[in-house]
Amino acid sequence: MRNKLSFYIDRPSPLHRLNPLTKLAVTFAFIIIAFSAPWYWTSAVLFVCAIIPIAFAGKIGKEFIRAGINLMLPLFAFLFVMQSLFHPGGDTVLFHFWFLSVKAESISFAFLTTMRILVMVSSFLLVLLSTHPSYLMNDLTQRGMPSTLSYIVTSTLQIIPQMQNKAGTIVDAQRSRGLNTEGNLGQRIKALLPLIGPLVFGSLVDVEERAVALEARAFNAARKKTSLHEIPDTTWENVLRWVCLILVVVSIGSNIWLS
Amino acid sequence: MAVIELKDYTFQYSTAKQPALKDINLTVEEGEFIAIIGPNGSGKSSLCYTLSGFVPHFFKGESSGSVIVDGVDNLTSTLAEMVLHAGLVFQNPFNQISGSKFTVYEEIAFGLENLGVPREEMPERIDDAMNMTGIKHLADRSPYALSGGQQQRVALASILVMQPKVMVLDEPTSQLDPIGTREVFQVVRSMTGKGITIVMAEHKMEHIAAFADRVIVLDEGQIMRQGSAHQTLTDPLLPERGVGVSRYTMVARLAQAEKLWPSNHVLPVTIDEAAEGFSQTLRGHHAH
Repeated sequence: MRNKLSFYIDRPSPLHRLNPLTKLAVTFAFIIIAFSAPWYWTSAVLFVCAIIPIAFAGKIGKEFIRAGINLMLPLFAFLFVMQSLFHPGGDTVLFHFWFLSVKAESISFAFLTTMRILVMVSSFLLVLLSTHPSYLMNDLTQRGMPSTLSYIVTSTLQIIPQMQNKAGTIVDAQRSRGLNTEGNLGQRIKALLPLIGPLVFGSLVDVEERAVALEARAFNAARKKTSLHEIPDTTWENVLRWVCLILVVVSIGSNIWLS
Repeated sequence: MAVIELKDYTFQYSTAKQPALKDINLTVEEGEFIAIIGPNGSGKSSLCYTLSGFVPHFFKGESSGSVIVDGVDNLTSTLAEMVLHAGLVFQNPFNQISGSKFTVYEEIAFGLENLGVPREEMPERIDDAMNMTGIKHLADRSPYALSGGQQQRVALASILVMQPKVMVLDEPTSQLDPIGTREVFQVVRSMTGKGITIVMAEHKMEHIAAFADRVIVLDEGQIMRQGSAHQTLTDPLLPERGVGVSRYTMVARLAQAEKLWPSNHVLPVTIDEAAEGFSQTLRGHHAH
């Protein structure tokens, strides 16, 4: 079964081989720099000169661009129009539109905001496309994140498709007993209860069994957990993470200093 | 050497009005394969939970008497300690999958990770467990993309890899087809060869007769009968108490009433035994 909730694409690439923490560090550095650096073109340059090349180096360029367009284009179109029309201030009127006026300052602000959000969403997209969720959680757990938290994240990814299957089975079962799930809104709402009931109660029973199963697998054993997979981490990646931190500090510092 | 010892053990769930288990005395030797049968609500699951520590540490209640499993006193120990000595596999294979692993191999490793087993020791133990359960070819598959029988064998391997001395199985084949059922029984039987003691609650009499060393019949929380598969499974008391009886036993009993079952044969449980008995009857008639 395809795991629909994970964006991950399995390809052999340097980006895939990076330690998950390094990818997260770079991602957060990009985002913070995009939002804090005083130079107007920072976000745009980051996107064009760093994020896009990284996507292609990671052999996920095509998927990256497709997902990017699907996710962001509608949002940005909306954002750009709203910001251009309604951003307060500025007096360089470019043209009038009914009772509204579009000003140069509004356009430049809209561009800045759009670029910042583009950097934020696209750099996260890179992490999601190139990192298996269990790999990421595994690494974070080994670095001290509670294993319960990582269990919740990874099991949710697997359990939601199973819940969808179950819900589908319940809908079929109730339909075959004559439940009318189509028609107007009232009828649909009325049909909801016999569908949600079994799903919720069934899931509660499952939760108890799952708890028993986890206990049987020593999930709560008072021992230091180990991990099947060793997640490689190199010295230069460690250096890279420190560089990210320094860049972030410089970016925030220059923002404060220049304002 | 006795691996399991229950003495005058009584247990009552905190939400129940009557005890689920009453005055249980039971001794199981190392490497023995014990089957527990009985009608629904007779205490089979409660006994399984007791042997694996879930009663009284997970499902709470009042208990008296003593339960010693692999040298550990259940009542004074903890669940985390108990599961190291007695592994539990239950009915629904689907709910036994941890849900946090993406391949069968990783799924089996889950218990080892929780136990803090060093990474270098894992592959050998995982391979052993996969070989014993015959799922080596499934190692890279998603645990969710398997048949029920395969999933149940993954569940078995996932417990087996933790190397408990006792395996407790609560109706592990009730949701499986005949092929899956046979696979599970064969795997379980092979474990006794490695010194693992098996306690299995089951309904499938023909398989019990073919695989188990001893049968315990539970009724209303008490041990009603115990002995070899033949003694117990052909006991006329079983159908009276609503315990399923093998259809071969039923047919042979009807034949016996009509003097059509050879007197030198015990009542059969499996198809082979039935065939043997009836062919003798038929040959006898032929001779006349």
